[in-house]
Amino acid sequence: MNFMKAAFLVAVSTLITIAPRSLMMGQGVDDQMLLHPPTDSWPGYHGDYSGRRHSPLTQITPQNVKNLSLAWAFQTDQTALIKSSPLLVEGILYFTVPENIWAVDARSGHQIWHYTYPRSPGEHIGHRGVAMYKKYLFFVTPDGHLVSLNANDATVRWIVQVADATKGYWTSMAPLIVGNRVLVGVSGDFDNLTGYIRSIDPETGATQWQWNSTPPAGTPNQTTGGMTWMTGTYDPDLNLVYWGTGNPTPVLTGSTRPGDDLYTCTIVALNPETGKLVWSFQASPHDTHDWDAVETPVLVDGDFHGEHKKMLMQTSRNGYFFVLDRTNGKSLLTAPFGPVNWSLGVDKQGRPIPNPAKEPAPDGRLIAPDEGGMTNYRSPSFDTRNGLFVVDAHPSYGIYFAKSADGVYGWAGADYGVWGKGVIEAIDYQTGKIRWSHELGPGGSGAGVLTTDSGLTFTGDALGNFLALDSSDGKTLWHAGSGAHIVSSPTTYELDGRQYLLTSSGGVLFAWVLPQE
Amino acid sequence: MNLIRSALHASVLMAAPLLVSLAVSAAQTPTHSAQPPAPAKQNGTAAPKSYPPALVESGGSLFRQDCSFCHGRDAGGGESGPDLTRSKLVTEDVDGDKIGAVVRNGRPDKGMPHFDVSDPQIAGLMAFIHTQQNTALTKKGGRKGVDVSDLQTGNAEAGKRYFEGAGGCATCHSPTGDLAGIASRYKGLELEEQMLYPKHAKSRVTVRLASGQTITGTLDYLDEFTVGLIDPTGSYRSWRTSDVQYKVDAPVTAHVDLLSKYKDADIHNLMAYLQTLR
Repeated sequence: MNFMKAAFLVAVSTLITIAPRSLMMGQGVDDQMLLHPPTDSWPGYHGDYSGRRHSPLTQITPQNVKNLSLAWAFQTDQTALIKSSPLLVEGILYFTVPENIWAVDARSGHQIWHYTYPRSPGEHIGHRGVAMYKKYLFFVTPDGHLVSLNANDATVRWIVQVADATKGYWTSMAPLIVGNRVLVGVSGDFDNLTGYIRSIDPETGATQWQWNSTPPAGTPNQTTGGMTWMTGTYDPDLNLVYWGTGNPTPVLTGSTRPGDDLYTCTIVALNPETGKLVWSFQASPHDTHDWDAVETPVLVDGDFHGEHKKMLMQTSRNGYFFVLDRTNGKSLLTAPFGPVNWSLGVDKQGRPIPNPAKEPAPDGRLIAPDEGGMTNYRSPSFDTRNGLFVVDAHPSYGIYFAKSADGVYGWAGADYGVWGKGVIEAIDYQTGKIRWSHELGPGGSGAGVLTTDSGLTFTGDALGNFLALDSSDGKTLWHAGSGAHIVSSPTTYELDGRQYLLTSSGGVLFAWVLPQE
Repeated sequence: MNLIRSALHASVLMAAPLLVSLAVSAAQTPTHSAQPPAPAKQNGTAAPKSYPPALVESGGSLFRQDCSFCHGRDAGGGESGPDLTRSKLVTEDVDGDKIGAVVRNGRPDKGMPHFDVSDPQIAGLMAFIHTQQNTALTKKGGRKGVDVSDLQTGNAEAGKRYFEGAGGCATCHSPTGDLAGIASRYKGLELEEQMLYPKHAKSRVTVRLASGQTITGTLDYLDEFTVGLIDPTGSYRSWRTSDVQYKVDAPVTAHVDLLSKYKDADIHNLMAYLQTLR
């Protein structure tokens, strides 16, 4: 009893010290919450601006995680798979599948409201979640619109078009709030279209600026593409937004787009106030394998071979792990994190050099990794406790074909996965060496990664098991079969002095806690 | 004693789940077949069936929302999903009897989710996919896909040498044994995919219980925590991996080991050789 009371007091005083705002309910999300998220919140897609997905919470430990039990489950009753990272603001979770948002009580798992957008044209392949500013939610749709809703009751404030679905765009990402800006990215791989990031006024829906990743379609000898379909990260001190761009189009043939095809498959740093490009680093020059570089640009401050560095790290879909100096985009390290057979090595700028002999061909080329890539949209985590970059990797091979009859529009070729598997890899960021790995099973897993300061790594395997691993060696400490494919990234939060682990698989959201004494 | 608990070895784990879902998919998806899947041809000389334009349009609209990311907007293949215009299942489908089952059940072994669709929606999808297939069959060029003729660049003699030598294929396979007539059973891309990695190959597993009793069967499920097999009576049996010792015999892993060794020419030569085994 005494212990519990003491623990409670500690928890309360922690909240008060770290997060006085969180006791002032009803205000929604502001700059301070986004810059320093309290432990009872998850106010943006990545949790905080860094993209590290490393939680300071330590109630669930390697010693007690075996006791983890179900607090509640929420069933969407939809066939769409949950791919979103739920936001948590003032005790309410907000999560999505295409055209659907749910507000759910984070304590009980009961539904507060359910918003549906009218059935619309455009791809329904997935949805990453909402963004929140004050008490307003921001939600993109398959037909390329940004919907702003009141968080209290899901009434619509305004809807603006951000991308033209009739041209082949769609939208699926979770917007990023920076100051009074809602940053939105776009999708579209089946047409030769320009990718862009658009900044939108959260009050009015008016466009503030737009940054284009590629020239207008039809520009001679220039690429299109560079879609911006994942959420970027932000460094408030440098005042730079970091964003990954997607593959060039036509996708599997480069004949009409000689050269590097900037800014496709690129990590860019933009000024959030103007949308101006400050620096860029291209992960895949002249890509012909659909390897977006949209994977989370994770921001880490720390030692790099004896020097303190502000770094940006990415495990890229093309199979390379990149460490950059995020003040200027210069390469610190480039190393493959699985089988890679398409490059001739790495150039002086740290960029892989594509091997022309491994471009798709009429009689096929065997390529590692496959088109899904060595990893994909699922989130990695930077474990600050152990200095490890932890990623759900996908060692794999595919065969790529392209011939002149396939044309130069859209996909312009064909590719087929041959074999792959899933492996959690814990990468030493200073060397690129894999410190430990954990096999996840055949095909691969779609689960992202969360690490905590108590030394736990949460993820899921290829067979639908939620896993808790020991962050020091990757050994399994807890598991629960979920009954469906896991294609989302776990999150965690603390409410009423209890740490919750939030996972999803299929169309079901699960909240896990330690039993109360 | 070779009954070591070695199942977490990557190459072993890899084989199992494909088997898991085999039972699910086998009923609906004749992926192995005596007939070449492509180019698909209509039965006999009958003209392709045509569908009301409104039905095709309604199916096309739904297809572009839920199917096209993986299968392409024209059903000719996209990210991760096969070209449906060359699908044997589509060719064999009659008014949605096969397409409907796949849409509603998904293809868990291939990562295809299932969809909650009404009968009229299935009718629309079926009409759209068949129409796309019919269009594709009459169209020359301009369409992505892999033709049997694309895969004829290798040298059969060199392929035979690789088969018997560096590739190590002859360790497990024989041109007059299991591979006799292989080129009649599979053609083109399907043959190449089978050659590179036969996704439905079965593995064997021997489980030793605490009592000392051993059971050998076909591996049906394996993760870190559970091992399941089909025993000689046809029954499914499973154990917690922590309670037993087991050993998986997965010869298919030899195909994975080759992936990092192949030169593209080796693959083309092997294809040329295998295509002589009619």
